[in-house]
Amino acid sequence: MRLVNRALARMGTRGAQRALGWATVVSLLATAMLGLVVVPPDANQGDVQRLMYVHVPAAWLAFASFGVVFVASIAYLRTGQTRWDRVAVSSAEIGVQFCALTIVLGSLWGRPVWGAWWTWDPRLTTTAVLLLIYVGYLSLRQVADSPARRAHWAAVVGVVGFIDVPIVHMSVVWWRSLHQEATVLRPGAPTMAGSMLATLLFSTVAFSVAYAYLMAVRTRVGRVEDRVAGTLMASPTPRARAPRRSGSLDGIPDEVTSSPLGPPAYSPGGGGNA
Amino acid sequence: MRDASYVLAGYAITGTALGLYRLQLARRTRRAHRLVAALTGRTDARSRPRR
Repeated sequence: MRLVNRALARMGTRGAQRALGWATVVSLLATAMLGLVVVPPDANQGDVQRLMYVHVPAAWLAFASFGVVFVASIAYLRTGQTRWDRVAVSSAEIGVQFCALTIVLGSLWGRPVWGAWWTWDPRLTTTAVLLLIYVGYLSLRQVADSPARRAHWAAVVGVVGFIDVPIVHMSVVWWRSLHQEATVLRPGAPTMAGSMLATLLFSTVAFSVAYAYLMAVRTRVGRVEDRVAGTLMASPTPRARAPRRSGSLDGIPDEVTSSPLGPPAYSPGGGGNA
Repeated sequence: MRDASYVLAGYAITGTALGLYRLQLARRTRRAHRLVAALTGRTDARSRPRR
């Protein structure tokens, strides 16, 4: 925990963020160069297989992002510290980006190879469910009425929602699937040519750098937004500042008991339509 | 040739999506700093409050 705290603090400095930003740009450009120009095309699929160098890292980084949500949510539930909630929501937001990218890139790859943009294949369906779970996670945060409750509910969803990640990974093994089986994250040696594997690993590193950079920026934004929320909650509202009127009844808002338009229709003897 | 257009579209979408997300974060940061400045009355919202 202390190590993670220290890493987060270091990533939050401006200098580290700038360095990460440049590293992201350079490594992503290098990935594009390697994937589009340097590596030879696949013997069976031809050039379209080059999509693997962005599709697969996007999927792995989505899994990793949701893994961070899982760990940070457990840390929040154990300690109650807001910073874990901030880490969880930042990672969920970035994970949703990567997960949506995975689906779009897979669709672009599927069209020429399978002849369809989308099919209700187990891998595709479980990935779509994964995206919906974390979109739901982010939506849930918008409806909770207090920061503590929002963080608590979100943490529970962050822990439970992670169940779908191993299901997505194992879906090609458990069910009959059009999607190819794992070639790298599997027992035994990867079934891939050396140059392709090296490019794939390089692009995964590039996507990881991009993830670290976006996390650093997103957690910083979260800190400032929390400061805004804290300041807003600390400052008295116009209603709290207004002097109490002597005629107000206990427990009933003033605007109900003394409306400039006369008594409300539901008040006793208030002149309803009946 | 048609395959190449799928590949180029994929790489372009990846770069655009990450770039747009980064821009959105920059916008959110600016808005939050402006709000902090408006609420606290400090001209430099990036500085931490003194205790």
